[in-house]
Amino acid sequence: MKFSLNGLYIESYTKCANCGVLIYEASAEDSARKKVHDGSIYCSEECVDWKLARDARRAKAAV
Amino acid sequence: MDFVTMNILESSMVSLCKEMGIVLMKTSYSTIFNEALDFTCGLADMNGDMIAVADYCPAQIGGMPLLVKSCLKEIPIDEIEEGDVILHNDPYRGGLHTPEHTFFKPIFVDGEIMGFAVAIGHIAEVGGMAPGGFCGEATEIFQEGLRIPPVKIKKRGKDNIEVWKLLLANVRTPRVNYGDLRALIAAVDLGEKQMTQIYKKYGKEKIKETVNDLLLYSERRMRAELEAIPDGIYAFSDTIESDGIDAERTYTVAVEVHKRGGEIIVDYHGSSPQASGPINATLGVATSAAYNAVLHMTDPTIPRNSGCFRPIRVMAPPGTIVNVDFPAPEVGGNTETHPRIVGTILGAMAPAIPNRVMAAEGATHCNFVFGGVDADTGEYFACYDLEAVGWGGRAFADGNDGVDSINGNCRITPVEVYETRFPWRIESLAFNVDAGGAGEFRGGVGYTKQMLCLNDEIICSQMTDRHLLAPWGLNGGTEGGVGATLVMKNGREDWQTMREAYGKASTSRYSNVSIRRGDRVRLVTPGGGGYGEPAKRDPAAVAEDVREGYVSKAAAQKHYGYQEA
Repeated sequence: MKFSLNGLYIESYTKCANCGVLIYEASAEDSARKKVHDGSIYCSEECVDWKLARDARRAKAAV
Repeated sequence: MDFVTMNILESSMVSLCKEMGIVLMKTSYSTIFNEALDFTCGLADMNGDMIAVADYCPAQIGGMPLLVKSCLKEIPIDEIEEGDVILHNDPYRGGLHTPEHTFFKPIFVDGEIMGFAVAIGHIAEVGGMAPGGFCGEATEIFQEGLRIPPVKIKKRGKDNIEVWKLLLANVRTPRVNYGDLRALIAAVDLGEKQMTQIYKKYGKEKIKETVNDLLLYSERRMRAELEAIPDGIYAFSDTIESDGIDAERTYTVAVEVHKRGGEIIVDYHGSSPQASGPINATLGVATSAAYNAVLHMTDPTIPRNSGCFRPIRVMAPPGTIVNVDFPAPEVGGNTETHPRIVGTILGAMAPAIPNRVMAAEGATHCNFVFGGVDADTGEYFACYDLEAVGWGGRAFADGNDGVDSINGNCRITPVEVYETRFPWRIESLAFNVDAGGAGEFRGGVGYTKQMLCLNDEIICSQMTDRHLLAPWGLNGGTEGGVGATLVMKNGREDWQTMREAYGKASTSRYSNVSIRRGDRVRLVTPGGGGYGEPAKRDPAAVAEDVREGYVSKAAAQKHYGYQEA
């Protein structure tokens, strides 16, 4: 989530593509944990892994 | 762990939370607080983790940790001073829905912040396009009322007048809102005052240590409960019938519950993209609903705090019906989609723990909201009215009859109070016959409330569900009865749906219909699904249902082979 320079309003909401939590641009903790995968932002490596595992499981089930 | 001190402290804190709720109930102005009890009071540590809570509204209990933590991301702890009260209702940053206002006040001991007293309450009138805060036809958040980011409504013990003026300028009932907001502040004032005394009695370090132990104790007990459930991936889905904008379109709530050892992960991927209308849930709702479902299927004696929630993770994809993106509407997500999510999780877990789940409940709060100018007083009135439903049958008992949906734990407003406060006459209020799904344990029944309008005009809106798609039965039980909203205009003799009478897209979600003096409105609430094969139902229970009027003789014969003695 990105605030305007004056801090008075939100310019954009950034959510983890997997779990949906807000990722705060100003948070050092959030910045350290976040990952980019296939053009999407994730809050952590764990969420990328979860997404890949789910995709694999569903692809297997579809066969 | 010092179990004796932990037990005493936990009981003291829970009692304090209950007392905060009683203050709120007794000092508030609106029926939603002093009759329906649509609020929750709790205590949090300085990280925003909930350390104690009273048994008020489950939707708010599960939502509390994210709400407080979200605020603390924006107002750093070192900017919070003694006597401050922080207010917040923003659905896109931890909130549940626009009417849900969260207040929290820091607890300082010897100049050090130790935690927070928290009160969350559903304010009945929040501005926006419809009186009563539920505009069933909203297509963006700005139509749903005033959105409040985390702000200090009190600074160092003094009212922040500018914030008060902004709040009260944007609602239809400023006098009543002022009273309700004051009641919420009174609740956190009491929590802060009493908790400070508890800190002084036991000492800061002892309480910190004991609270850590308490959260760990709840976590361990929750993990032990989860470990007893067979591991696996359990999937289920349910369908919401419309969003109030496109009446023909349905929306899927899909869950995969991953149960692994002592943890549970609820993955909502596969749920529908967010709707144009206000049925979308926020992340706070999706999280709270997962907690709520897990609490319903585990030991109710585990102390309720953030420790219970540590073994539960939620995956709520953004831009979907379970995690709405700005600026889509969301007010119905907390009342309608929340119980639907809980039911979907319980449905998923049915094969693993059939004795701890139930068939579908009515899963709506009916949310009949209205407002107008009182012909006698000239004052604007507004009301958020919730109604109760039938719950699903269980493996050991029938469903509850006429009880608020699973995330509310609220009471319905008594007829006498309703008629005193608002210009309606309640002509009848009676359980619906044959509205509980048949089963070894039948579903609970909903009821019908018929009202006569006594004002020149009342502007009515509604956000409800289950008019078309009935609550499902489980393990051979049949569906429960559907709900309805009907109007008989003055001078007519037939009942019409809101679609027929006012040209609305949906019968269950609509905004701003003008009900006139002499018009009648009939609210029919849905029943719950049945559990188990009807043929297995105890014949004595069938006979009792017929005798008491829950089931007609014809239905008893059809479902249970009933023969009159």
